[in-house]
Amino acid sequence: MKTFKIRFFENRKIFFAISLGIMVIGLIFNVIFGTQLDIQFKGGAEIKYSFDGKIVQEEVEKIVQDTTKKDVTVHILENVKSSDGKSVKNNVSISFAGTESISVDNQQAIAKALTVKYPDANFQVVSSSSVNPTMGHSFFAKCMVAILLTCVLLVFYIALRFKKIGGMSAGVMAVLALLHDVIMVYFTFIIFRIPLNDSFIAVVLTILGYSLNDTIIIYDRIRENRRLMGPKTPYSVLVNTSINQTFTRSLFTAGCTFSSIATVFIVGQVYGISSVTTFALPMMVGIVTGCYSSVCIAGPLYVMWQNHKAKQKAEARA
Amino acid sequence: MKRVAKPVFFIVALLILFLTYSATFGIKGKNGDNSTTYIKGVGDIRWGIDINGGVEATFSPATSKKATKEQIDSAKSIIEVRLTTNHITDYELYSDYNNDRIIVRFPWKNDEKTFDPESAIKELSATAMLTFRAGDEYTTATTGSDGQPVYKTPKGETATNVILTGSDIKSAKSEMYQDQTTGKATYQVGMVLNDSGTKKFAAATESMQGKIISIWMDDVRISNPRVDAVITDGKCSIQGNFTAAEASALANKITAGALPFKLTTSNFSTISPTLGSSSLHAMLIAGMIAFGIICVFMLFQFRLPGFIAIIALLGQIALSFAAVSGYFAFIPSFTLTLPGIAGIILSIGMGVDANIITASRIKEELWSGKTLDGAIQKGDDNSFWAIFDGNITVVIVGVILMLVFGPSNILSAMFGASTTGSIYSFGYTLLIGIVGNFLFGVTATRLMTKSISGFKFARNKWLYGGAAE
Repeated sequence: MKTFKIRFFENRKIFFAISLGIMVIGLIFNVIFGTQLDIQFKGGAEIKYSFDGKIVQEEVEKIVQDTTKKDVTVHILENVKSSDGKSVKNNVSISFAGTESISVDNQQAIAKALTVKYPDANFQVVSSSSVNPTMGHSFFAKCMVAILLTCVLLVFYIALRFKKIGGMSAGVMAVLALLHDVIMVYFTFIIFRIPLNDSFIAVVLTILGYSLNDTIIIYDRIRENRRLMGPKTPYSVLVNTSINQTFTRSLFTAGCTFSSIATVFIVGQVYGISSVTTFALPMMVGIVTGCYSSVCIAGPLYVMWQNHKAKQKAEARA
Repeated sequence: MKRVAKPVFFIVALLILFLTYSATFGIKGKNGDNSTTYIKGVGDIRWGIDINGGVEATFSPATSKKATKEQIDSAKSIIEVRLTTNHITDYELYSDYNNDRIIVRFPWKNDEKTFDPESAIKELSATAMLTFRAGDEYTTATTGSDGQPVYKTPKGETATNVILTGSDIKSAKSEMYQDQTTGKATYQVGMVLNDSGTKKFAAATESMQGKIISIWMDDVRISNPRVDAVITDGKCSIQGNFTAAEASALANKITAGALPFKLTTSNFSTISPTLGSSSLHAMLIAGMIAFGIICVFMLFQFRLPGFIAIIALLGQIALSFAAVSGYFAFIPSFTLTLPGIAGIILSIGMGVDANIITASRIKEELWSGKTLDGAIQKGDDNSFWAIFDGNITVVIVGVILMLVFGPSNILSAMFGASTTGSIYSFGYTLLIGIVGNFLFGVTATRLMTKSISGFKFARNKWLYGGAAE
């Protein structure tokens, strides 16, 4: 049976450089484009209508602006296929500037004004949302608290379960790897210019669980190998062996999950369902970085910490 | 290794296949023309508004003053009356007293022809018109979504003779009192009128002794008490064998007519049924393709354990559906949203992982020269704790999601109550998926592997990833 013999610890600088490089790119994008919050978090309004025939973007913009006295951006999407493949519709989405929600009356007035202008277009609401900014902010704060709470509990659990291999250091390194993944997922949203919404929270939390699972499988092997190989084995050998032994599994699992989510993404893309694609794309990135960080970041970092501790101990004795 | 009896494989596999079949199609009986559902299938799943289409709205009072708990409750009761009389079932309604909010969410009805969410929201939050009318004549009698009769549209004298309106009422409260003759404690609604109301009511009760004064909200009758005495001091009570809940519901509705504020819609979102159903369709296609890819991969990579893993995965998926459709009598049906479906897909990923870990471990042991039985036993033992720890961390994530995004959540003190957001559904399906993972991915897989390895045809190590013999 083939086993991998990759020197993960010795090559750690390459891995760290790759991660840091991607983060720098993400940061540059972030500085240029800024962070977009979805109206779920920052408040605001958006309406999407389906229609038949042709409409003119500038005219729609003007009509809506005149009715609501607010600045709007109008985006027309033509030939959206419905999933049964029978009907083809055009969609127009209207987003309002600012973070104020719009009233129901306003929304009715818009539909009326549009129908007056284009009587044959048969405007139908596809989706609409209008969020009050204070409620948006409180929802955002709640999501952040949820992520923080999860992280604390996870460190606590690992520290408890992996006492034998230095629970606290294992826990901290695992969470550093998690942080790495969260940052990567965040930059995916930034680079692809997807506004942060509740699917960002869902993706982050899933990747937290998923990446941690990867890390735990490796720690479990380290725990087992520590018993088998004895306390004399250097940490770098111990960790390299453990990562290599679990490497096939890491690849297989990441591959299976990745291809499943990729399928979801492709199908979502074909039918133009943005709620599915904006969820699936960052998830795909998360699965890759989740696997990568567990294998290439958490393990070597853990060895560095243990070597550092051993050195300190030796110095104290000298 | 402790041998597992040979038939176990077939028993477990058949049980899983039965679960899969029944959880997918349900079990329905036909009794003449009536079909009864004994066990609910995928078709009975209640889809969230992001799939089925629907409306979610948050209402708050249009005043700068803080509303009292009673005021919010009665505003909520208005909305409730309108929902049930409009035959909207399946609605969710929450009130947040700290932040003065009422949140409502309901799916779009299947037979609805037009999708007009704006009017629906406006209708729900319109100021309630409360009237006390002479007599008790109505035009239509139907049944509301809560099973109670609904009497609508006053006619005759009831339509023309309005005695009191909401503005004549100062307060209405549910009270407990002791019946003079029987000594039993019952509930009644105590009502206090303001000056104008007192005058009007005194005159009306004098002329209408022994007759009925009916109480209406908008177009719907909410009570029809008989006048027993002339009320001159503006304090009266409505009796009628109420339970505590009934009395406070009626009191809430009467107060609603006298609310000092209007409701405004601070948040709302709507999704049309067509958009929803096409996302569902897309998820379904994606799910089937993804499952196909995983099956092919598992079969080629792990051979016999891969085949067993596919059976176990079927069971896990079936359990996920069963847990949301209301398949088990003790688990109520659950609203499944798009993130909920994502939760199912992810837990299947975890299930695949458990099978990969175990099968890889068995393969490793075979290549290190163990016998087949020894390798299976060792592989099972070695992989268990890795799977356990990995899954428990996901459980932690799932539990946090449910606690934080549930209707009454641990962060309520900080952020107030909210609707069960779509993320709640994600937490739920993830948790169920992990339960399924331990049940099928770990227990059932192991039973089946050990049992099938007792058959002669399945003794070849190649089938488990070992060298060909």
